[in-house]
Amino acid sequence: MHHHNHYYAQAHILARYCGLDDDFPPRIRGYLQHGWNVGCGWNPVHEFFDGAWRFVWSDAPRRRGHALGRRNYHVVGAPWLYLMNLEPELGAVPEQEREGTLWFLFHGWEGGKISGNHARLIDEIRETESGPVTFSLYYTEYERPEVRRYYDKAGFDVVSFGRRGWNYDGTDRRFLYKQLAALRKHKRVAANRLSSAVFYGVAAGCQPAVYGDPMEMAGENPLFGGTARIARLWPEMHGKDIDVAVARDITNEELGRAWMMPPAEMRMLFDWNERD
Amino acid sequence: MNVTDNRSTGNGFVRGEMQPWTDYSDGRAPASGSVLAALLADLLPRSERALIVGPHGTDLIDGVAARSAQTTVLVRSVSDAEALRAAITNTTVTIVAGSLDGLIDSLTEDEAYDLVLAADGLDRVMGYDAPQQDWQTRATALVRAAAAGAVVVVGMQNDFALTELFDSRPSHKRHGDDEWWPLHDDPTRPASPAQLREALTGLGLETPLLWATVDVAGETHTLIEADALAATRPGRPAARIAVRAFETAATAVPLLASLAEGLNAAACAGQLGAVTPGWLVVCGPRPPAVHTIYTRGGNTSSVLAADLADNRWRLVTVAGAGSPPAGLSANESPAEVPDTESVERLLLRAAAKEDVPEFRRLAEQLGDWVGKSAAEFGPGAVICLDDTGVDGDTFARGVLAWRTVDESGTAELLAAAWHRFADRLSRGHHRHPWPPWMSGADLVRTWLSMSGETPTDAILDRGRQIAESVAAVVDAPQTAAPIPELRTQLVEAEMARTRAVELAGHVFGLERTLKMRDQQLKVREGRLRSLRTEMSRFRGSRAARLAVVIRKVAVVRDPKRLARAVKRRLPGH
Repeated sequence: MHHHNHYYAQAHILARYCGLDDDFPPRIRGYLQHGWNVGCGWNPVHEFFDGAWRFVWSDAPRRRGHALGRRNYHVVGAPWLYLMNLEPELGAVPEQEREGTLWFLFHGWEGGKISGNHARLIDEIRETESGPVTFSLYYTEYERPEVRRYYDKAGFDVVSFGRRGWNYDGTDRRFLYKQLAALRKHKRVAANRLSSAVFYGVAAGCQPAVYGDPMEMAGENPLFGGTARIARLWPEMHGKDIDVAVARDITNEELGRAWMMPPAEMRMLFDWNERD
Repeated sequence: MNVTDNRSTGNGFVRGEMQPWTDYSDGRAPASGSVLAALLADLLPRSERALIVGPHGTDLIDGVAARSAQTTVLVRSVSDAEALRAAITNTTVTIVAGSLDGLIDSLTEDEAYDLVLAADGLDRVMGYDAPQQDWQTRATALVRAAAAGAVVVVGMQNDFALTELFDSRPSHKRHGDDEWWPLHDDPTRPASPAQLREALTGLGLETPLLWATVDVAGETHTLIEADALAATRPGRPAARIAVRAFETAATAVPLLASLAEGLNAAACAGQLGAVTPGWLVVCGPRPPAVHTIYTRGGNTSSVLAADLADNRWRLVTVAGAGSPPAGLSANESPAEVPDTESVERLLLRAAAKEDVPEFRRLAEQLGDWVGKSAAEFGPGAVICLDDTGVDGDTFARGVLAWRTVDESGTAELLAAAWHRFADRLSRGHHRHPWPPWMSGADLVRTWLSMSGETPTDAILDRGRQIAESVAAVVDAPQTAAPIPELRTQLVEAEMARTRAVELAGHVFGLERTLKMRDQQLKVREGRLRSLRTEMSRFRGSRAARLAVVIRKVAVVRDPKRLARAVKRRLPGH
């Protein structure tokens, strides 16, 4: 199994959903999409071994992948949706008690740092958000004092949900659990780029917003069209006051809600049944 | 039109573009070619605002732009849009990347085009991010872009084409994700000329003209008005032109079997127009001056047009001189050809009936005709029996005309014609009365004699040379490693089985011979043994022993000495 399958402990969540050990999830015979993606499900230069199966969240990456000449796709739905099924109460508060905005900064990764005008972004957030702001930084920015300092000083509650892990090491198995609990407490979810976190937030009942400097990441590959294409394809998902009903429809499509499957089917799909 | 500008490329965008992607290489070519360009030159009116939807060659885009004040080209691939922008210098042309639904959504309410060209069809106008629309929805979107009274040209690929039906690949390998085409399992997708007309008429368009199209991997080879193709019959000029186009188109397709029989049956049924690889329908007022047929001519990019009147096809070269093929040069096409069967069909019919006298009569008539017409044809005029028609009591040249670069005599040209006939007879697995041990050269010798010429080796060699030059330009180009089609493989397998049976018979005969040889050896051994027994018996007889003594005595040289020796051995001495 590729170590990306362990990112954010998504393989662990699916193993638990299938009634299997989620401390040491069984091997997935292929690649599991680990984040929302406007390409074929993975970054443009991701390596694949011949004959590998690609398990993606929704149908769009399958279609784009086919157009790239790739085959062996199967749409499974986002692990986030399975987690929500497994944890219907985690972090939940009565609707009227939800407050504030959980704001996600577009994040870099182990191989690329982001750059942009943080001060201007903070000003725009202050102008826009009326309630308290919890500011989520991925650990790559959380551990960069020069970035984190901006948001600390702005008076935001700066949090990080942990590490996604690398080569099966350091994966915070509660990463998405913590994110789900936090989202269920907030009224709004916002980000400076349309991303997994925004869709997660909508799925968790938040009102979404996408605004502010989208920032740039070193080494970002524009092969799939970048932020301009995203804006053309999902104009409804950009802005400070997004129609929630439309956002829910798009979220269901992008997280592949219609493709979710029962545990028995998933065990067969991943070849997780005992054969002895 | 609300188009997003991309300053880095100079191109506009509407929603739904694809990247990375291309419709211009690594697969089916965009709608293009001198034949389609010639039709559009006759067809398209001058326009204020023209829209080209889907991949089209730069030759077509330039042609439209030359007669339009403003031209918008919509392609779904970003890199294709960039390449077109670089290739097209006309500043009245705007290139937009995106999908058809994105373009339609970007149009203002009263915005429309008086010329809409979608010659590539509606299969390559949507991206992977666009909704999976059926054909009818895409056609409706196309019509939405057209102003009232606009000329709309729409191409359509035919799932019922012989090239599709005989394709050895399964459906999902023929048209699917490699080309990013919509699924063809679409109930709204027209599958016949009548359905196509009906679908467009249902959208409020008039459809006065519909051409059956034959393309070679996207580049148009031949266009024939569907009604004319329905009216033709096997071996007639329109059918001959269609068959030649099909054979060229088939080089881009791995076939289960040769298309020849299917084409013949379709032509007999008046259904050739239903089985061509595609159609091109023109909606709007009927243009005044279009021809019935447009096809590739003798030179590489020349286009020959033809119209039928009074049972004769009037021919005219409408475009492009091009360069001549190797070994041959384009001859002047006849001004008209009769709408009759080809001589080849008559000969094949006689051969199949094993009617050698009829075959001989035709061969003789052919020899007479070639001899008498040499001056009219000009020196070195090549004769193709598959493109030579019957004209009353005599014959007439067909639409394709070449002459040899080097000087060639009548006998050599006839030999070439017979070589070509022999090749086609063999390749088509046609029935004939001549035994299998008669080689192709033997057959050509026979037929050339029937035509009144003396078949020398030199004439046959020269004829072979000319026939090969003709095949190189007339027939479909052969690939370096052609994929053997199933019917040929089955025939070859049958031949191999026959040969295996014959060889088994040969082995049986050899075994029989060996067995008889064994018996012969046994007989000889028995005789030797009896001779040896007889010899040993003879050696034990008194006569033989006496003979031994006599032989020994005969060799005694000193009798006295022998006597003394005998005496010493006697008792008492």
